[in-house]
Amino acid sequence: MTEEIKNSNWKLRKGRIIDSKQMTAAEKWFDIQLEDSALDYEPGQFVQVELFGVGEAPISICSSPTKRGSFELTVRAAGRLTKAMHALDKGAWLGIRGPFGKPFPVRLMTGNDLLFVAGGLGIAPLRSLINYVMANRREFGKVDILLGCKTPADMLFGDEIATWQKRMDINFSCTVDRSAPDWHGNVGLITSLIPGVSINPQKTFAVVVGPPVMYKFVIAELLKKGIPERQIILSLERHMKCGMGKCGHCQIDHPKNYYCCKDGPTFTYEEVKDAKKL
Amino acid sequence: MNYHILNKDGLDGFIKELSKQMKVYAPVSRGHGNFAFEEVSSGAQVALKYIPTILPPKKYLMPQRETMLEFDIKGERPEDTALLEAEEIALFGVHTCDLAGIQCLNMVFSERPRDYNYLLRKEKVFIIGLECNAYCDEHASCALVGNQLPNGGYDLFFTELGERFIIHVNTQKGEDLLEGMGLPKALPADISELARAREGKKSVFKNEIGVEPGKLPEIFEKAMNSKVWEELGKRCISCGNCTNVCPTCYCFDMADTVNLDLKTGVRTRTWDSCQFETFAAVSGGENFRPERAARQRHRFYRKFKFSPDKFYRFFCTGCGRCTRTCMAKINLKETLRALAAESK
Amino acid sequence: MTKKNVSNKPKAAFFDFACCEGCQLQVANLGEALLDILGAIDVVEFREVMSEKWDKDYDVAIVEGSITDHHAEERIKKIRARSRVLIAYGACAAIGGVNGMKNSFDLDEIRRSVYGKDYKLFDSTPTRAIHQVVKVDYTVNGCPVYPPELLEVIKCALRGLAYTVPDKPVCSECKLNENVCMYERGVACLGPWTKAGCNSWCVNNGNICYGCRGLVSRPASGAAEEVIMKYNLKPELIKNKFDMYNKCGEAEAKGGK
Repeated sequence: MTEEIKNSNWKLRKGRIIDSKQMTAAEKWFDIQLEDSALDYEPGQFVQVELFGVGEAPISICSSPTKRGSFELTVRAAGRLTKAMHALDKGAWLGIRGPFGKPFPVRLMTGNDLLFVAGGLGIAPLRSLINYVMANRREFGKVDILLGCKTPADMLFGDEIATWQKRMDINFSCTVDRSAPDWHGNVGLITSLIPGVSINPQKTFAVVVGPPVMYKFVIAELLKKGIPERQIILSLERHMKCGMGKCGHCQIDHPKNYYCCKDGPTFTYEEVKDAKKL
Repeated sequence: MNYHILNKDGLDGFIKELSKQMKVYAPVSRGHGNFAFEEVSSGAQVALKYIPTILPPKKYLMPQRETMLEFDIKGERPEDTALLEAEEIALFGVHTCDLAGIQCLNMVFSERPRDYNYLLRKEKVFIIGLECNAYCDEHASCALVGNQLPNGGYDLFFTELGERFIIHVNTQKGEDLLEGMGLPKALPADISELARAREGKKSVFKNEIGVEPGKLPEIFEKAMNSKVWEELGKRCISCGNCTNVCPTCYCFDMADTVNLDLKTGVRTRTWDSCQFETFAAVSGGENFRPERAARQRHRFYRKFKFSPDKFYRFFCTGCGRCTRTCMAKINLKETLRALAAESK
Repeated sequence: MTKKNVSNKPKAAFFDFACCEGCQLQVANLGEALLDILGAIDVVEFREVMSEKWDKDYDVAIVEGSITDHHAEERIKKIRARSRVLIAYGACAAIGGVNGMKNSFDLDEIRRSVYGKDYKLFDSTPTRAIHQVVKVDYTVNGCPVYPPELLEVIKCALRGLAYTVPDKPVCSECKLNENVCMYERGVACLGPWTKAGCNSWCVNNGNICYGCRGLVSRPASGAAEEVIMKYNLKPELIKNKFDMYNKCGEAEAKGGK
């Protein structure tokens, strides 16, 4: 066996779950430590998680690289791998490949105001960036975070969000599609929160992550505010089997040759506005 | 330039000698006008006149099912061993369209991050090309994409000249093999005869669709919303035949399989197809390419738009397999003509 | 098969309804793999090979055959109530299979032709696949089942993992086997519309695909016309071939349970 094969891009590094928590009925959070060395990643990247004998799935990293040692994933039980992963807790071993993908353009974003728009599970990759920005807060201008979920019970990172709400250096608002008896916040679509944010368009980066249906409407609002297309950053979801721009599953329907795993998952709106689907 | 000569009645000896050194795969007849690359050990088994095989020789470079890893989950910590399944083999009788196909795959898998399973296997494959002096059938479009003539990609290349083959030697490995078999060098007269044969091909192989190939990327640039795709979508079966038989389609799937002990197993790579219903579906339920029209469009873009942008060449080799195999008559040449007509 | 002592292994039971028991034969023919399976489970009921009965719950019920009368309906409901996991295996159980041909006729008419003038003494209902009567956790298609797929499903069931039946036509596997297309031989074949997963077993052995695994979720209707035209076939011929295995699915497509 040659060294190339042993150390190829298919090599699975072994990691252990060092902490886990059921966050909502559908989502579970995991803190993972690799046995060889820490994962070297940036906000917006993803890993391929392997459960030996079950399979592999791409999962966004939801922690910030400023947190050292371990990295975190928030996993919705949707497919074969993620359902099996929900049965795991502290001590369980996983295979990890990556990190893969183009990160959020954090260096370009310095010196600008930031507007984060997260829908549903979109908060997971965005939390990586938000925590990164918090850890490097003085590099950025005004920070606004808008969060939308279906119901209050679907809200992820509730404890952490409570601390965001208290912070003086960020503006946080959230809304739910359907209210619940103990909910006193906004009810309505996330787009309804955008007009209320004061924006200096030329000096603002908007980062939008959510389900495909959300993009069209949110982007329309952001364009209305005058934010340039290349300062609207999206993170797109696709099926990915390799992470190396080869397996073909994540290619985007666009006249340009975009592999979501390699050329994305983060894209500027300018890059992908001609895509058939976001 | 180095050429050798092999009399046609010496082919049997050539194949026998070669098969003593390594497994030899060559086109053989499957009946009903179909051919397939299969293991051979004599010249009589080889179909020298054949239309492109059901599957292209990519099956030897990128197996349909490839074990990448063995794992063991008996203990607490999973153990795994990476694998490479490869052996020294020779492919005999590879047409220029299929040589071009292998060159496309070589580009894809050597692009970083590299795929060493492919690259190391490729090193073990000895490739012997075979020239087409006439069209295989009406579905080929090799002249459109410039693949009617050899453009490298082989160790040895056979051209039939009457009762003899003239063999172009492209690698030292090829030279050593022929020297070892004691094949004579070609004379200047033989080489002139080859040049005449090539000259003669010019009047046989002509742009099959009457559209300048250089214009194709431009045509595709504007074709995202073309009605042509709807037409294809109405007919498409989504069987994936067109991509399975394509010499440059390389999309794949990865899967784990456990043995009956439920404690050991393998991780495999298998061919996949962008034409399948669930190819672009995510587990959350969203399918990013649910329409057959969009899937057919995607296939054509991968052949005529994305590839020239990225690799400076079409990923259509002109072999005609996709048209030949389509039960619903989706025709590559007609589709290109329709797109060209529409863009005028 | 001798009676085993009660162990911690999952308790599995095989049951049959209206069927030819050919799929049970496939199980018995598994050979070495069968011994491996028996190492992983305790078979507590299997009419074809043992006489013992089990009075507790089943971890896995493996059910062959379709539901064709009221008695069968009651029995499958009782089995379901006692089973943690239920596997429907074989075309009869999975899609109704050949028993579904009965549904092409008026029920009384077909009863009369089978049982004669006293047909009312013989209970009969339109044929239904198992999932049309009770919840099914795993489906193994095929007439008979394709043994490697059956093993895959059993492994999934034992590990609590989902098994997804490939939702692509048999052609996708047939092409990989480099079979000469049946249409090229001038014979109509149901491969283009039938779910893969059998590794084109029939075509590999010189037969056409009879559609025993049921239709893919979005069978290409437009393509059928093209295929019929290209190969100069009669549309009724293809429809008749489908009716052999797929009559129960039709009721489902029309909203029947």
